[in-house]
Amino acid sequence: MAKNDGDALMAVIKLENVGFTYRVLLNRTGSLKELFKEAVHGRVRMIDYVALSGVSFELNAGEVVAIIGRNGAGKSTLLKILAGVLPPTEGKSVVNGSIAPMIELGAGLHPEMTGSENVLFYSVLMGRKTKKVKSRIAAIGEWAGVTDHMDFPLRTFSSGMVARLAFATATDEKAEVLLVDEILSVGDAEFQKKSRARMDQLIASGAAVVLVSHDLNSVRELSTRTIWLEAGHVKMFGETGAVVDAYEAS
Amino acid sequence: MLVCVSHLELIRLLVGRELTLRYKRSVLGIGWTLLNPILTSFVLWIVFSFVFASKLPSGQQFAPYLMAGILLNTFFNQGLMASAESIAGNGGVLTKIYIPPQIFAVSAALAALVNFLIGFLPLAIVVIISGQSLSLWLPLSLVVAFFMAIFVAGIGLTLSILFIRFDDSRNIVAVLLMITMYLTPIFYPVSILNSTMQSIVRWNPITSYLEIFRWAFSNNASPSGRDWIFMIVTSLASITIGTYFFKKKWPKTMAML
Repeated sequence: MAKNDGDALMAVIKLENVGFTYRVLLNRTGSLKELFKEAVHGRVRMIDYVALSGVSFELNAGEVVAIIGRNGAGKSTLLKILAGVLPPTEGKSVVNGSIAPMIELGAGLHPEMTGSENVLFYSVLMGRKTKKVKSRIAAIGEWAGVTDHMDFPLRTFSSGMVARLAFATATDEKAEVLLVDEILSVGDAEFQKKSRARMDQLIASGAAVVLVSHDLNSVRELSTRTIWLEAGHVKMFGETGAVVDAYEAS
Repeated sequence: MLVCVSHLELIRLLVGRELTLRYKRSVLGIGWTLLNPILTSFVLWIVFSFVFASKLPSGQQFAPYLMAGILLNTFFNQGLMASAESIAGNGGVLTKIYIPPQIFAVSAALAALVNFLIGFLPLAIVVIISGQSLSLWLPLSLVVAFFMAIFVAGIGLTLSILFIRFDDSRNIVAVLLMITMYLTPIFYPVSILNSTMQSIVRWNPITSYLEIFRWAFSNNASPSGRDWIFMIVTSLASITIGTYFFKKKWPKTMAML
């Protein structure tokens, strides 16, 4: 019994039979005019589109799981469910602890606001406290190597600088869960090494990581287990080596 | 709307961003917020004062009548559009970080509210220039602003779903807003209309908000008890329907972002 309790505490992420289905109009019209025309002709038909179905897994602290699969396999939907943005239509998704979503870093940044303002805004979006963030802004800018630019609008930054600032902000506070979508290639070689070191450090400190990637080499290198999604279903789930081999052979 | 309380810091940042960014790259910056209603009112005053000024009941002044109308209509129009666009516009964040999306719509409505309150200053000046005095009931203008913000946020939430699902809904809404504007006595006195039109205009909720606002600010209209009831009922109905509809439709709409 004691051991079971321990396991329950360890599982940071627990998905049980998670699925997401949505109703779409058969011909996916994006216009009210079309919809009206079809309604008049009695041709409005709905179909159920299964984006994800029957996904179950558990993830413990300090573990890295990778999700692979072709475009449209349901990887993004799964990430959205894990991030808590999308409530699953079937099953249960439980994530214990704070989540740092490192998905398309910089989505919340605004080109007209200064570097500092963006750091503050992005941090508050992630649920941090204004007061605490304000004392961290300088350090974040320094780590990203953009100290001189922090008071200028973000539109004057190069794209590499934006990515570095976003990465530095997202990883500034320790989170229990990291959701990573193809961001291991941020900035130049030197910064990649630096960001990789910080990721390793976060994992070592007990963060659970879900990694979505098309780069099978980094999947092999980073993750212990891998989920292979195909058309919304789990095609294979297990040790990374075996799953990636099977995926490459398919 | 309880979710908003736990996200006050974020709302403050969002409102600030909305207010400062609109004119960020212009010389006058936020000064435009002051200047905009003044200039619009001035132009319309030149055009319409000859026609309508004499048609107002005695004791009422055309300049503050017009400007109050423009301020409130701008609040409604811009607030509604900003609030309805806010969720699609921040889709990039909303699909990645969990934040109650309603916060964005509410913040947009609040930013429009702040703009409206800034407009009180030039309106007060116009009131005094035109020989009227500010009403003792002026604080009740804040009540109108409050109910209008709720009204705007509610419709904004409903529209934000439609805006994501149907591309052409934006254009339809733009036309509807224009019709609403002409059905609101912004620059004409209600008395110039025939009785059918008068009753249509009376059924436009903005008319009630506006009548109360004009009366509360400088005693420049005579709203009835019906106007008060109409204002409170439409505002509460809007936010109730808006939050319910949004909650129901959001998950599947989000999947489309």
